[in-house]
Amino acid sequence: MAEATTEPGSGRPSLVPALERMAADILRFALPVLFAFFVGAVVLAFIGENPLDTYALMLSEGFGSSRRVAATLSAATPLLFTAVATAICFRSGVFNVGVDGAFVLGGLAAAAAGALLPVALGWSIAPLAMVAAMAVAGVWLYVPGLLLARLDVDEVVSTLMLNFIALGLSGFLVNTLLLSETSGNNTTDTIHAVAELSRLMPPSTLHSGFLIGLACVAAYWVWARWTPAGYEAKLVGLNQRFARAVGIAIPASIVLVMAISGIVAGLGGASHALGQVHKFSDGFSAGYGFTGMAVALLARNSAFGIVFGAVLFGALASAGTTIQLFSDVPLDIVNVIEGTVMIFAVMELGRLSLRRGRAS
Amino acid sequence: MRLGARDVAKSYGAVQANSGITLEVAPAEIHAIVGENGAGKSTLMRLLQGLEQPDAGSIVFNDRPIRLRDPEQALGLGIGMVHQEFMLAPELTLLENFVLGHEPVTAALPLGRRIDWRAARAAGDALAAKTDLAIDWDRRAGTAPVHIQQYTEILRLLQRGMKVLILDEPTAVLAPQQADDLFMLLRQLRDQGTSIVFISHKLREVIALADRVTIMRRGRVVSSSRIGETDIDTMTRHIVGEAASVAPPAAAVRAAAGEPVLEVSGLSAPALAGSHPVRAVDLRVRAGEIVGMAGIAGNGQDEFIECVVGLRKPSSGTVRLKGHALAGCDNADFRAAGLGYISPDRAHEGLAKAASIEDNVMAASQRAPAFRRGPFRRLGAVRAEAFRRLSQLKVRFGRLSDPVASLSGGNQQRLVFAREIATEPALLVVAQPTRGVDLGGIAAIHAILREFAARGGAVLLVSEELDELIALSDRIVVMAEGGIVGEIADETATPEAIGRLMLQQDSHKEAANG
Amino acid sequence: MMQIAEQVLAASVVLATPILLAAIGGLVNRQGGIVNIALEAKMLTGAFVAVVVSSATGSWGVAVLAAAIVSAAIGYLFSLTITRARANMIIAGLGLNVLVAGFVGFIMNVGFDASGTLRMPHVELLPKLLPGSVAALPLVGEALSDLDPLTVFAWLSVAALPFLLANTRLGLRLRAAGNAPHVARAVGLREKSLQDFGTAFAGFYSGLAGAHLALASIGLFNEGLTAGRGFIALAAFYFARNRPVGTALVCLFFGFLDATQIRLQTVGLPPQLIGTLPYAMVILGLCLTAWNLKRKAQA
Repeated sequence: MAEATTEPGSGRPSLVPALERMAADILRFALPVLFAFFVGAVVLAFIGENPLDTYALMLSEGFGSSRRVAATLSAATPLLFTAVATAICFRSGVFNVGVDGAFVLGGLAAAAAGALLPVALGWSIAPLAMVAAMAVAGVWLYVPGLLLARLDVDEVVSTLMLNFIALGLSGFLVNTLLLSETSGNNTTDTIHAVAELSRLMPPSTLHSGFLIGLACVAAYWVWARWTPAGYEAKLVGLNQRFARAVGIAIPASIVLVMAISGIVAGLGGASHALGQVHKFSDGFSAGYGFTGMAVALLARNSAFGIVFGAVLFGALASAGTTIQLFSDVPLDIVNVIEGTVMIFAVMELGRLSLRRGRAS
Repeated sequence: MRLGARDVAKSYGAVQANSGITLEVAPAEIHAIVGENGAGKSTLMRLLQGLEQPDAGSIVFNDRPIRLRDPEQALGLGIGMVHQEFMLAPELTLLENFVLGHEPVTAALPLGRRIDWRAARAAGDALAAKTDLAIDWDRRAGTAPVHIQQYTEILRLLQRGMKVLILDEPTAVLAPQQADDLFMLLRQLRDQGTSIVFISHKLREVIALADRVTIMRRGRVVSSSRIGETDIDTMTRHIVGEAASVAPPAAAVRAAAGEPVLEVSGLSAPALAGSHPVRAVDLRVRAGEIVGMAGIAGNGQDEFIECVVGLRKPSSGTVRLKGHALAGCDNADFRAAGLGYISPDRAHEGLAKAASIEDNVMAASQRAPAFRRGPFRRLGAVRAEAFRRLSQLKVRFGRLSDPVASLSGGNQQRLVFAREIATEPALLVVAQPTRGVDLGGIAAIHAILREFAARGGAVLLVSEELDELIALSDRIVVMAEGGIVGEIADETATPEAIGRLMLQQDSHKEAANG
Repeated sequence: MMQIAEQVLAASVVLATPILLAAIGGLVNRQGGIVNIALEAKMLTGAFVAVVVSSATGSWGVAVLAAAIVSAAIGYLFSLTITRARANMIIAGLGLNVLVAGFVGFIMNVGFDASGTLRMPHVELLPKLLPGSVAALPLVGEALSDLDPLTVFAWLSVAALPFLLANTRLGLRLRAAGNAPHVARAVGLREKSLQDFGTAFAGFYSGLAGAHLALASIGLFNEGLTAGRGFIALAAFYFARNRPVGTALVCLFFGFLDATQIRLQTVGLPPQLIGTLPYAMVILGLCLTAWNLKRKAQA
């Protein structure tokens, strides 16, 4: 009752505004998704497929059985990391689009460590590999953060360009220093079996990286809501002049969120390398950084929204691959929907104007 | 009448910005409009330009009432405005800016019609010949001196055949010689039949240039007279109003001023756009004392305050707070040394409008030990403290999680005070504390400030409201053109005395010496 | 040695063309105030349309024009989301890249029963403009004999662009809308429509770029055909700070890097790393500019 209203004539807290806000949040999440599914439906109708049939099939392929749910969660796993890595920056008003590159380099570092560390280290290889991944990816995004904070170098362009540099660099390394001697081109050795993350529901590929991803989301929620740094980062994102005038060091805040973003993205890469593919090869990231961005935008940076969004896109990806087998609908419909979601998520639809959301 | 207003009223929410305004600008007349900030001049100009429509009454053009929907329509009729912030694209050249929107063209090319630069330049030169200025047309506008930018904008309007030019404080950014040049041009234009509306704070300029002067105060026209029929003292009295209602004797309830809390010496700082640099300011504020700072907007007060609260790095000089020398500009250091700060720009700096009430009232305390347990915030303690702060200053609110924008202006400002006073600072720097606050709110805020000083706090109060300064301050310093030009003790402070120091820049030296 | 130089020059020019076309569009767009991250999407569209139309009509000219117009239309719609619905241009651009990639794949799959690569019968390639005999000329011979209409058009555009931007009404107004939209509005211009024109223009040129990729020599469409060239184009005009001639030279250099990758590999320079050079150059360029600005501000 501490925050009971002091409005004259009303003795108890009113629930209506809170419900209204919740409804607005849900609507902001749902509208772009509905629009995207509508666009998808138009495309499907155009080729003579019944959109409802297709979506029903997708629903059952995404969630119809425990096996399908496991596949969906498996596909959602990398997105949990990349969405958190994106949201933590967007929330502070830092337009970091370089999560994909950090994810790739983190995956490379983890795969290299998982394969090259002496097998005698046993169970400790996996955590060591993760630390390596977080270090590499954290430094990778720390640099554009520093350039933004100190020199005001546009972070959109620098991080966009760094994605391509990360791809080139990893492509170079897996063809030279880290090239597997046994398995051909463009790939590292397979990691030691002892370094693999455990499978949660065999034979599904769902692995314990999913739990680490959930832990990341939870940590993000705690950081955003329960730490002074998270609170300060939010104020920086809402109003830089205000933040400065209440004594917040804006450059430090920017560098911090960029470094954390890199660390989370790197951990995501490590989870994908150690849990899913067990090595690093070209094409390691299927655009996870960008899909994560769509998730973060949909969720308006809220932790709960990120879990929902990641599962949604995970389901799209896992259902997309199987409906291609059972119907004439190609997998590309998933990209159509994802791209539409991204565009509609940032459009100001009527009075539902986009404001940077809250993490709590 | 070329342009005017008849019984015009306009309000924003509860604030009556214009009421019963009647204005008549004759053809071939230079008509000055003067008044304090907040007197309603800008609102009237917005109405004359079609940026907004009056609630009642009408705008009159060529003796006929008209409805101006937008500035484009006003431009089409021949009403053009030169804003304080020039409407030039900085990356384009002056000539490009000059012709933009009405380019003389010749042949058709694949990407549109070709601009006839020779004709453009000739037209520009012909207009510029009215002045003694040689304009380097090929210079990028952003790098040109301000008076050249201003000329370019005026010439652009003339080229489009304006019958009325509205100039908003055109000399604010000009050196005296440049202002004289501008006046020469304006007189020529008047002699050729153009009507000129001239907004200014500087009464000497008004006397020198205008044919007629209309004085506004608190949203109304208080006088309108031919320039020969008035003088500076009369105008000053009209601008600041009759002697303010007698304020309660503030000093009586207050402890005698104690130790110096703020000591500023030799402080200089570069100017923000359209303002004056701060020049070697010395100032001392003692515990329990309220020092007022008066001055027309844009005379260096904003820059000075930002240096004193650690948001701007002075080019020279020192700031000491409770004896600590605070070099550089880190607001957190200043706060740690005992600063509280009420920003003049409540909407953009004093508050984060999109954030919740709780976040706004607790900002700057997030690292205080009382609200932390290890690395984490004690959200319960934070919430309780937010509630305590808000109730202490009687802020009326719904829920702590509501956006701060849901509060009224007066409540928003109380919230800012609640935040800044809660940490018991030794010095409170307060700028424009009652801007946009209704009468009840003003009284409450004044009471808060008096009580703060009575408890031994030091206050530096910057305000454009002379009544407020007189009512609250123990002594008042007046700032003009970046320096302190005089100091007036509370007993002798009258709006006229302060106004004279603020408005009559030529008398600086006598005032400062006297 | 001479022969290698000839080959490298010829390959550089050809490889530079699509980047250059897209960069021309992007730089005009950016002068109008919109950073176009979706050049890639429009190149992909252009390439796809060009292959399909060329096969259907047997005319490279119709194919090129169709590619440009379809891409311009997509650019215009994209622009509306930014100028009217106030979408963030970066996110919307990245979204469009994903959307178009999906859409093209979808159509390929459903309409042509192809996945990944689309081979069509009777695709007419871009013609060579000069008779084969020019190949005999020293150094430039091979490059000249390879000249196709779009390459010539790209370089003519580069030559004309500074003049058109500076001296036409549309050029001036576009730059005003980009530099200071509120000023453009204050003098009575419709700044949003001007920006929409800029984005449609970028779409038009990106469509040409895609058509060149598809029809210059390979005559088929592949989902990975653009391979990030839209972003390399972005890098080019960012690095040259929006100046047409400078941008063209940077594009030529990027084409040269592309052409020499294989050769440089033999002397120990890995192609993957050379491929990152354009991007690294942009970051370095931005840093130097920012550093200079900061030094000036402090001076």
